[in-house]
Amino acid sequence: MNDLLAVLWVARKDLLHETRSKATTVATLFFSAVTLVVLAFAIGQDESLLRGAATGALWVALAFAGVISAAQSYQADLEDGAFDHLLTTPVPRAAVYVGKLLANWLFMLLLGLLMLPVTFVLYGAAWPTAWPWLLATLALGTLGFALIAVFYAGLTANLRARESLLPVLMFPIVVPILLASVRASGALVGSDDLALAQGWLRLLVGFDLVYAVLCTAIYHFVVEE
Amino acid sequence: MMDASERLRRPAWLRAWGVALVPLFLAAAYLGLVWSPQDVNQGNLIRIMYAHVSVAWIGFVAVGLTALFGALFLWRGKRRDDVLAVASGEMALLFSALTIIGGMTYSRPTLNTFWTWDAKLTLTALMVALLVGYFIVRALIDDPVRRGRVSAVVAIIVAASLPFNYLAAEWFRTLHPSRAIALDGSGVTMAPEMLFTLLFNTVVAGLVYAWFMVDRARLGRIEAQLEAERAERELGSVPSGGVVRV
Amino acid sequence: MPDDAAIALHGLVRGYGRRAVLKGLDLEVSQGKVVALFGANGAGKTTLLRLLATRLRPSGGRALVFGHDVVTSGHEVRRRIATLAVFGGAYATLTAREHLRLDAALRDTPNDDEAFTALLGRVGLADAADALVRTYSSGMRKRLGLARLLAADADLWLLDEPHAALDHDGQDLLDALVAEARGRATTVLMATHERDRSRRLADASLVLDDGRLRLLDPGESP
Repeated sequence: MNDLLAVLWVARKDLLHETRSKATTVATLFFSAVTLVVLAFAIGQDESLLRGAATGALWVALAFAGVISAAQSYQADLEDGAFDHLLTTPVPRAAVYVGKLLANWLFMLLLGLLMLPVTFVLYGAAWPTAWPWLLATLALGTLGFALIAVFYAGLTANLRARESLLPVLMFPIVVPILLASVRASGALVGSDDLALAQGWLRLLVGFDLVYAVLCTAIYHFVVEE
Repeated sequence: MMDASERLRRPAWLRAWGVALVPLFLAAAYLGLVWSPQDVNQGNLIRIMYAHVSVAWIGFVAVGLTALFGALFLWRGKRRDDVLAVASGEMALLFSALTIIGGMTYSRPTLNTFWTWDAKLTLTALMVALLVGYFIVRALIDDPVRRGRVSAVVAIIVAASLPFNYLAAEWFRTLHPSRAIALDGSGVTMAPEMLFTLLFNTVVAGLVYAWFMVDRARLGRIEAQLEAERAERELGSVPSGGVVRV
Repeated sequence: MPDDAAIALHGLVRGYGRRAVLKGLDLEVSQGKVVALFGANGAGKTTLLRLLATRLRPSGGRALVFGHDVVTSGHEVRRRIATLAVFGGAYATLTAREHLRLDAALRDTPNDDEAFTALLGRVGLADAADALVRTYSSGMRKRLGLARLLAADADLWLLDEPHAALDHDGQDLLDALVAEARGRATTVLMATHERDRSRRLADASLVLDDGRLRLLDPGESP
């Protein structure tokens, strides 16, 4: 119970950081919108091509913004040795991880919810009838992404070259997440194929479960020096 | 302190093992290139498969062992576990690179292209990327203990991702999440001579991997020893002032 | 080795890469002592404090806090200690009061808003209690660090250059807080360059020099 309070406070301080440094947060939000626009330009005028690329573009935009936001959440920690100080308190390391995960996941979810309509407008895709499943895909996909992003951002926070290292380390790991999310949302948006989408969602659930347990269990190795 | 050349000499059993690998390797090549029959569909191209598939399998085992030795290092903190993890990781990188080259050799004549988004090939390419990340992390950390511990964490995360990457790559190709894991993916029944040749090649590839790994780990241990001796010398230069009591 | 020593170091070694910073420290600090730790820049004062705060692992030897090994019983160590970071260790986007509430959640201590107000008043942050730390001066950040230190109610204080950045009043306040802590039998280890104040406060002074610890004689200058 008390650990839960610690989790909520760690999440709260990260979310307060997001809301109180509005410029950075808005920049990250805007960055994904810009990515969507640029990708639409790159794909061209063909409407059926655009429609087919909609979910792929959405997840690329979310992935880029997700990496940035995870790295930024540790940036705030590193200033003035605040995270170091936090880790000298008897808070379980797992609680710190889960708290930061929660904040990052909520941010990515919000980002996804904002980008969904943008994608549908820009890429001319039709809103699927099974839209609750699209939201489920968004939730599971961003969770898997946040699991890895928060873990690896903590690992690279103390290393040189962290800006380029984080995507290099994490993108090969999240390939299944990206593929499954793109395919599942593609199946829903393009063809309303619920059975196909659910097949991919099972992969997402499996990934999320395995990494939730694994990352929480070994996070304390990441923050020690 | 041992004399340097004395220290670097391979022990007799390791030399014998290395020598024995030569005829084994030749025998594996003979079985694959001459003895085994042609494939009904692929003709002589099937012969590439023996080397390719056996190397690929051992590459996966090597990644798993890197994570296992990493976990042991986290648990017991013995330097030799980290040394074994690196040795295995380097071999995993080499074997995955060979797998990609083999795969490209195989797909050029059969599919008329160097690269296909075949599940196993895609997975191996991802594995190379993951292993490169592992070695970048190692290169960025100076302190040997921290280097070992952080990279062990990376190895564990990497190894856990392989089944998911495999499933995703497999389903991506067929565009449908249906098939269960089939280790070599061929799923086709093989002639007994072919199966024997494949297994023989795999055993030899495994022995080659193990030899290089053990030898690399031997060098790694010497490195670690020298490092420890250097540290000891530096500490020894200052006399201990005894316990300070306050 | 009595288990009740606040700090016990046995051949403690720590290096960064190939460079050894602490080259084998043997130290025993009994409970309730105030100890000043001197040493040139880069002598390893912060390294030692971070080792005791379980933030760094020893490369060799052992470090015990109230009998708990900093490596194998880190959690037990962290329950007994409180730290003051050299720059205060605060988050720029939280207020002073939020830091105290955050700490209470992390330390599992009561979230008592009146006590927090009193505490922030004590360190001279009454007016700034609900302002974001990013509007604070470096001295105010240090004062917030002092408030968090007091709120932690710990048995061992690990202070990294506590006087730095504080104004004259702030330094007097710090000295008073350390004297009170000694009255409560709290052990204090402070890395410092502030000779006069620290030596007046401390029961004993140590010097870190070339990776070794030695006791400073009363008349000797660090």
